[in-house]
Order: sequence, then structure tokens, then C-alpha cells
Amino acid sequence: MITFENIRYRLLTIDTLTIAPGVTSVIGPNGSGKSTFLKICAGIAEPKSGMVLVDGKAPRETEIGFVNEFPDRNILFSTVKDELASPLRFRHTPCGETERTVRACAGTMGITRLLDRNMQDLSGGEKVLVALAAACISRPRVLILDECDSHLDAQRCAWLNTVLHASGAEYVLRCTQQMETAAEGDYLLYIQKGKVVHAGTPAVVFPLLSDTPFYPQSWRWPV
Amino acid sequence: MEVAGVRLVIDHVTASSPSWSLTANGVFSLGVHLISGDVGSGKSTLALMMAGLRAPECGTVTREGISRMMLSFQFPEFHVTGLSIEEECRSWNLDPEEVIRSVNIGVTGVTPVLSLSRGELKRLHLTCILARNYDLLLLDEPFSSLDCAEKEKICQKMSLRSSGITVIFTHEQNVFPHVDHIWEIVDGRLTDCGDMPGAIERWQHAPPLVKKLVSTGRTPRELTPEGIREAACRTHE
Repeated sequence: MITFENIRYRLLTIDTLTIAPGVTSVIGPNGSGKSTFLKICAGIAEPKSGMVLVDGKAPRETEIGFVNEFPDRNILFSTVKDELASPLRFRHTPCGETERTVRACAGTMGITRLLDRNMQDLSGGEKVLVALAAACISRPRVLILDECDSHLDAQRCAWLNTVLHASGAEYVLRCTQQMETAAEGDYLLYIQKGKVVHAGTPAVVFPLLSDTPFYPQSWRWPV
Repeated sequence: MEVAGVRLVIDHVTASSPSWSLTANGVFSLGVHLISGDVGSGKSTLALMMAGLRAPECGTVTREGISRMMLSFQFPEFHVTGLSIEEECRSWNLDPEEVIRSVNIGVTGVTPVLSLSRGELKRLHLTCILARNYDLLLLDEPFSSLDCAEKEKICQKMSLRSSGITVIFTHEQNVFPHVDHIWEIVDGRLTDCGDMPGAIERWQHAPPLVKKLVSTGRTPRELTPEGIREAACRTHE
């Protein structure tokens, strides 16, 4: 379980919250604290008070893959191949194993054709695919994605769900503005003005949002 | 204000990268045009060529009668020129207080622009863009990062544009403004799906809900939320 106790950080206020293994979608208005929440889960930000634990350990002691909402802020290296290899090189993985893992990961992600490209020459969606591959390549226990589907087409969004399930991550936390995508997750958090207003399965949370634009279109108008 | 003689002519234009190639041919007249296409199909490159910021490898792009043009990049951070919200608004020659009221994100003029969340930054950027009139307005993924409520508000603002050519490049699947004409990039070629509403039936990238409505004989007359609702609730033609 990922547990939150008495979190106070910037506009975020969470007294107590528990997230079970599975895919958890985080939704809410712009500026409500979703990205801040994800950064606390990832250990990128540390709350001034309170505690986040991933199965009893601090996030910074846990293997976590993270994709930033600003695609360019994920980029560390010039080429796609170096970007993908970086998480493995940082942990001194032998060169041969790194090369093999990069090839295999690129194949799984469908980006083999991009391997020799310069990161800055990629389209927005391609940058996100590379960032996602780099986040997954070290098989993290926790995978955190901040609206990376906002740069993907419908086909890639559907494919993304397959990738997430195949990533082996025990916990996937994803912020999304695609309510159809959020409806497919195991759990749903609705954050507003820094507070987790609703938490539960999509079947529990979405009916509470039925009079808002956050209700899935396919639920509103089943055809 | 009606603008006469305004056209964007794409004449047998080609562009390519190591992983894709694009051929485009068509005339964009007054109204709102929607262009959809997969990741890496060349949408942003086409937008750059339409704006004159990238030369096509072959063919020509002619902007007839267009004196005021704006390209909104996919990434709002690429547009930032001011350190604070106030500086940023003034760089668009707009009154900061008025923009802040319109964006409604609880900031002041001295708030650093890059401290905003990506969605907030996109809202600020689009508010600045849509505060002015252009003969040609090119919007590359205008809905990315916006929350569902804001997408609807921005669509309403776009639908209010009464003049000029608006071209929206997007893979958005849920919320659309009023659209007059649909195009899509399929197999490396810009394909003209035609005028609304008939275009919807030829639109390969149509959202699943729209495809379901078409398959059940309820083709939406509009892509707006109201148009989708009307089609979904329609019981007979």
C-alpha cells in the first residue's frame, strides 16, 4: 500500500489516504495540486509535514519511474538511445546488458525507428513515448505518469494501457484529462483545491461527478 | 468582421523526417478547420509550413489576403518571454489584470510564469492568443493539458471567432469547438474529409463515440458537446 498521513505541502492537504496496488488515475481541474501530489509520491518533492510510504518505505528508497508533464523536462541526453540507456548506466549496468535492454525496451514501446534520432528533433508525442520507455526500462515498482497521454493520439492512448499492464509496475499512478482512460483504471482520485475530494473505484467516484465535465462521455451517452 | 479574399493554399507540398513523410494539397478557406493525425505523422511540421516557419521540400504555401497570423505551439512554454505573469501579458500587449481575471487561476501579476502548472500555463497562453483577431490562426494541440471544464470554455471562445481561418491540429477525442471542415493525415498524406457534417462519415480518426453514433445512423451535425448530445439523444432522423 502507498499511505499518506497528515501531508501539508504547498496547496496540498491530505490527512489520510491509502492507495492499493493497481492503476490509479488522478483527475481534477488545472492547478488543483495533481502534479504536486504525483511529485510527492515520486519523492521528487518532500512534504514539509506528514509522511508518504510505499509499502513502508520512503519514496526515495523505492524504484520509481516518472514522466513529467512538460515533455522537454524529461530529457537529459541528446539521442534517444542515450536517453533510454541512462537509467541503466546510472546504476552501472554492464554495457552489453544495457544495449540489449535498450533494444528490447524500444521494441516493446514501438520506438526502435527512433533510437538514433536526436531528442530535440522528435515530435511532442514521440518525446513522451521515449520518456515513458526511459521510465519503464528499469522495471520500477512504482510508475508515475503526469498527463503523458495529453500528447498521444487515440491509438497510442489505448496502447498505453497495454504497456502499463506489461510494465510490471506494482503501482501505476497516472494523472489524466481523458476521462475514458480514467474509467479503465482500478482506482480514481479526484483532487480539487489541494484536497482529495473523492477516492475509490471509477464506479464509485464518477457518479459523484455526473453533473461536471469530468464525467466520461461514454457513461453520459451510452450508445 | 468578415474578411474577404482570405485563403491558405497548400500546393503539392512535401516534407519528411527520418521516420515519416508528408504530402499535402488543399485550399483552406474561411472557417474552422480540424486536422487530425497520429503521433509523428507530421501535424506540427505542417503547421510550421502553413505559418511560413519551415520551407517545404517541394511545392508552395500561399497565404492570400492574410496580414495577421498566429501560430500557437503545442508546448505553451515555448511562447514564454516574460518572467512574471504581468510581463508575459504585456509582451502580448494585453492588460495583465484583464487577462488574470479571464484566466481565473488565482495568481497575481508578480507570480513567475514558469511556476504555473502546465494546464494553467496553457490557459494563460490561449487566453492571450484568443484575445486578438487573426486572418490565420494555427493552433497546434490547443487542448493538451487543459482540464475537461477548461476544454469546453476554450472551445466556446474558439467557436465565437467570426472571421478568418482557424486551423486546429489535434488528436483530442472528447471536446471540440464548432468545426466547418475536417482533414486528416493518413498514410503520409493530408486527406480532405470535406465539410461538416458529411465529413464525419469519412473521418478515420473520429472519436469512438462519434463512430458509434455514425454506425447507428445518428451522425452528429456538430462536433460541439451540444452537437454530440443532440445526436446521442436523437431517436429518429
